Amino acid sequence: MKKQIILTLVIALMSVFQGLAQEWLVPDDQKTLTNPSEYNLSNVKKGKDLYMKNCKSCHGDPGKHNGLPLVPAPPDVVSEKMQNNTDGELHYKITKGRGGMPQFEITISDDDRWRLINFIRNFDPSREQLLVDAPPKKAKLLASVNEVEKKVEIFAEVEDANGSFVTLTDAAVKISAKKAFGNLPIGEVLTNADGRAEYKIPETLIGDENGMVNIVVQLDEAYITDNVVLDAAKVGQLKPQPKLIKKEILWSTNENIQTWLLLSYLGAVGAAWAAIAYVVFQIFKIWRLGKE
Amino acid sequence: MEKKSRRSFVKALGVSIGAAGVVGGSSILNSCTQVASTNSDTITLLTSSGELMKVDKSQLKPADLPSLSENQKRGREGLPGRKFVMVIDLSKCRNARQCMKACQNHHQLRPEQHHINVLQMQDAENTAPYYMPKPCQHCDNPPCTKVCPVNATFKREDGIVLIDNERCIGCRFCIAACPYSARVFNWFEPRDAEKYEGVTYNIEANVPQKKGTISKCLFSADRLRDGKLPSCVSACPNGVYWFGDQNEDAVTNGTTHETTSFSKLIKDNAAYTLMEELGTKPRVYYLPPKDRAFPFQGEIDQHHS
Amino acid sequence: MDKVKSPEESRKLLDKITFDLTRSIVKRDEFTNFWYFLLIIFALVGLWGWGIQIRDGLGVTGMRDYVSWGMYIANFVFFVAVSLIGFLISSALHLLKIKWSKVISRVAEQVAIAAVALAGIIIVTDMGRPDRFLNVFLHGRFASPIIWDVTVVTTYLTISVLLYYLPLIPDLALLRDKGTDDIPQWKRNIYRILALGWKGHAEQYKLIAHAMRILMILIIPVGLSIHTVTSWLFAATLRSGWDTTIFGPYFVAGAFVAGVAAVIIVMFLYRTRYGLKDYFEDYHFNMMGKLFVLVCLVYLYFNINEFLVPGYKMKTAESIHLSNLFTGKYSTMFWATQFFGLLLPITLMVNKYFRKPVPITIISVFVLIASWFKRYIIVIPTLEHPFLPVQNVPENFQHYAPTSIEIMITVFSFMAALLIITVLAKMFPVITIWEYAEEKGISREIISEPKK
Repeated sequence: MKKQIILTLVIALMSVFQGLAQEWLVPDDQKTLTNPSEYNLSNVKKGKDLYMKNCKSCHGDPGKHNGLPLVPAPPDVVSEKMQNNTDGELHYKITKGRGGMPQFEITISDDDRWRLINFIRNFDPSREQLLVDAPPKKAKLLASVNEVEKKVEIFAEVEDANGSFVTLTDAAVKISAKKAFGNLPIGEVLTNADGRAEYKIPETLIGDENGMVNIVVQLDEAYITDNVVLDAAKVGQLKPQPKLIKKEILWSTNENIQTWLLLSYLGAVGAAWAAIAYVVFQIFKIWRLGKE
Repeated sequence: MEKKSRRSFVKALGVSIGAAGVVGGSSILNSCTQVASTNSDTITLLTSSGELMKVDKSQLKPADLPSLSENQKRGREGLPGRKFVMVIDLSKCRNARQCMKACQNHHQLRPEQHHINVLQMQDAENTAPYYMPKPCQHCDNPPCTKVCPVNATFKREDGIVLIDNERCIGCRFCIAACPYSARVFNWFEPRDAEKYEGVTYNIEANVPQKKGTISKCLFSADRLRDGKLPSCVSACPNGVYWFGDQNEDAVTNGTTHETTSFSKLIKDNAAYTLMEELGTKPRVYYLPPKDRAFPFQGEIDQHHS
Repeated sequence: MDKVKSPEESRKLLDKITFDLTRSIVKRDEFTNFWYFLLIIFALVGLWGWGIQIRDGLGVTGMRDYVSWGMYIANFVFFVAVSLIGFLISSALHLLKIKWSKVISRVAEQVAIAAVALAGIIIVTDMGRPDRFLNVFLHGRFASPIIWDVTVVTTYLTISVLLYYLPLIPDLALLRDKGTDDIPQWKRNIYRILALGWKGHAEQYKLIAHAMRILMILIIPVGLSIHTVTSWLFAATLRSGWDTTIFGPYFVAGAFVAGVAAVIIVMFLYRTRYGLKDYFEDYHFNMMGKLFVLVCLVYLYFNINEFLVPGYKMKTAESIHLSNLFTGKYSTMFWATQFFGLLLPITLMVNKYFRKPVPITIISVFVLIASWFKRYIIVIPTLEHPFLPVQNVPENFQHYAPTSIEIMITVFSFMAALLIITVLAKMFPVITIWEYAEEKGISREIISEPKK
C-alpha cells in the first residue's frame, strides 16, 4: 500500500518535471548575447522579408494570432511569450530549433538571424516601432478576363476617410491560377492612376483539358477584400494528358494485355490440352476396342 | 418495410458537417461513415481519422455514397485528367510522424502496419543520416501490378496504384515484387474490425480492411475525389509534403498550402526518385536532405542494404 | 529381350512375376495398419492446424510484412522439384531408349503424382484468402507467373496421371483375369472398371504405345515449364538473391537431384518391404547412382554460377545476401545443404560401393533433407534483407522463424504425399507387369490370355 502511494507520488512528480522540461532552457552564455545588428528601419525591413519567407508559415502574421495549430503552439510575434525572450534567447532558439521549431543555423546566416530579431523587436511594446503597417483598409476589387487578348483586366477601389470608394492607385495585385489543391501564383501587377491594371497571362500557363483556367485575383494584406475568383476562361494551354496505360502493357490488367503474351499463353495451353484430349480419345478407343 | 427504408436512408447519410474542429488541418470530419444509429436524434459516426463521434442528425446532409460495385468501378477508373505526384522535401522532415498517425487512422491500420513509414536513412558510412518518409511510390512501371494473378492490384490512369481487397487472394506475390517494401498484409483481423462491421467497403481507402488481403498507400484516393490532399500530406506539421497534379504542373504544400510549379520545384532542388536504377519510374520525388531544418536525432541501424 | 520361351515356361514365369508384383497389393499386416494410422493421424493434425490458420488468419505463421513468404513456399518449391523426376525417368530416359529405367517408371510416376498434387494443396495453404481460390480462374491475369504456375501444375498433374494410368491398363486387365483370390474383391472390381475391357488386341497395344509417345513428348516442355515457371515466382522480382537469369535451369537441375533421391528411397522401401530384390536389382541402384552423380554435377555447376558471379562483384545488396549465407545467420544451413546435398553424393557415389542399395539409400535420405533446406535457404534469407531498412515494426517482423502451425501443416504435406504413394502402391503393382514380362521374353498372347 505504502509502495503504491510512493509510486503514485513519483509518477505525479515526474509529470510535473515533464511539464517543466517543456520550458525551453537556453545556456546562460547564450542568453546574455546582445544583438550586434543595429535596430534600424533597414534591418527591420530585411528581417521582415526573412520572417515572411521562413517563419510566417507557422507563426502567422504578426498580431493576427493565426499561426498553425501545432502543439506546442508557435507563438505570435507580438505575444508576451515571444517578447519575453532576451535577444540572446531568441537568437539561440532560432539557431538551434527544438521540436517543431526548425534549426536555422545553416539556412539563415548569423547576421540575418539577428536582423530577424530586429523585426521581432519591432513589435516589442517597450521599443519604438520602426516599421508601422497602416491599418488595413476596405477595398473593392473587380476583375475580368479577356479571352481574346489573354489578359486580366483589374479595377480596384479603396474606401477613403469619408467612407466612399475612390480609385486605388499603386496597389500590388496578385494573380494566381486555381489548381487542384491550391492557387498557383503566376504574377503581380500594380494598379495605375485610374486604379486599373492589366495582366498579360503568360503563354505557358496550363489550363484544364480545354485550356480553361480559373484566375484568382487578390490585393495584398494592407487591404480588406474578398479574393476575386473569376469564372473559368479559355486562357491557358490545353492540359497535357499523356496516356499512362498504353494499349498493350505488361503491368496493366487483362484489358491491356500484350497480344503476343496472350497468344503465347493460350497457344501453349491450347496445344498441351489438345494433346491431352487426344490421348484421352485414344483411351476411349481402347475402351471401344475392348467392347468388340 | 417502412422501418427498413428508414434505416437505409440513415445509411446513405454521410459527410458534410459544418465547421468541425480542425487540428493541424488533418482530422477534418470528412467521409464519415455511420456505424450505429441510436433512438435519439444523434447518430454515431466513424470519422476518417478513426474516431467515433456522436452527431446530431440535423447536421447531416445526404451524401453520395455509392454502392460497392459502383465504388469498385469508379475506383478502377480513377479521376479523369489527373496524374498525381508527390514531392517529399527531406530537408524539412523531423520525424514528427504525424503523417504515419493520420494515415493509420484513415486507413484502419494496426500500429505495426505502415502505408507511410518514416525511415532513418544513411546512404554511406560517412554521409549524414536523415529521415525519409516512404509511402508507396506509385510507380509508372509497377512491379507489383505486373505479378498480381487476379487483377486485384492495378494502376489507374491518374497514376495511383490501387488494391481491391474484395478481389485479393492473399498470395503476397506483390509484396515480394515491391522493392520499396511499401505493401502490408492483414495477417490478423484488422484493427477495430468490430467498429467497422457493416461499413461499405471503399476501394479508394481500403477501408474496412479485410483479413488475409494486401493493403498499401493509395495517396488517400478517397480524399482526392473530394478535392482534399492525402491524409499524410495534410497532417504534416513541417511542410515536408507537396502534392498535386503533374498534368497541370502544380503541387501544393500540405502544411503551408502554398502552391508552386512542380517542374520548377524538382528542378531547382535537384529532386530524385528512389532507386531509379530499378526502372520502376516512381511518382514520388524526393528533394535531397540538404540544409536541413531539423537535426537528425535518431539512431541509425545497419539492418539493411 | 531374352530368348523366346516355351508357353509353359512363360506361363510359369508370368505367374511368378504376377505373384511377386501383387505382393504389395495383397500384403496387409500389423505394420500396414500402423503405417496408415501414423500417416492419417499426422495428416489430421496438419488439417487441424490449417483450420486454426483459416480461423485466425495467416498471422499464426511466422511470416510478416517483410518475410512474407516462408516455409510453405519453400515446401511448395520442394514438392514441385521432387515431382520433376516423373518427367526425367518415365519420359526423357525412355525417349533416349535407356532400358534400365523402365522398371522404375511407375515409381517415378507415383512420386511425381504425389508431389505435384501436394504442391497444389500447399500453395492453397499459403493463401491469405483460400476461400477466394476460384478468383484465380474467374479473374486470372494472364501476365502473372502465378497463373502460369497454376496452369502448368494442373497440366503436369494431368499428364502424370495419364502417364501412370496408360501402362497400367494391361496390368489391370491381367490382374482382373489372373488375379488370385487373396486380392480383395473390391480392388478387383476397381480393376475391372479401370481396365476398360482390355483384351490385349494388337490394336490396343498400338494405341497405348501411340498415346504414351505423345505424352512422353508433351511432358518435356510441360515438365521443364513447371519448374522454370516456379523459379520465375522469384526471378521475376527485383530482390537480390532472386534477381538472376539462371534461376530456371538452376531450379530444374536442383529438381532432378531431389527427385532422384526421392525415387531411390521409394525403390529401396519397396524392395525390402515387398521382397522385390529381383526386380529392383542392385544393377538399377547402380545405374540410378550414376544418374545421381550426373545430375548432382550439373547442379553443382549451376551453384557455382549462382554464387561465384555475384560474389565476385559484391554489389551492395548482393553482398549482404551472400555474407548472410556464407558467414552469417544462415551459414550453417547453407554449408550443410551444399555438403550433404552436393559434395557428399558426388564424392561418395563415384565409388561403386556407395551405389549399392543400402549406402545409396542412406545418401539419398541426406540429399533429400538437404534439398528441402536448400529451398528454405532460397526463399527466406532474401526476404529478410529488402532494399530499404526494416524499421518501426516489432522485432518479429525482422526475422523469420516458422511457428508450430507452419510445421504442422508442412508435416501434413509430407504425410499426405506418403499417403498417396502408399495408397498407389497398395492399389496397383509398383512395376509394370506386362512390360517386365515382355522383357523376360513372355509373349503378349500369354500375358493377355484369360485364367485357366
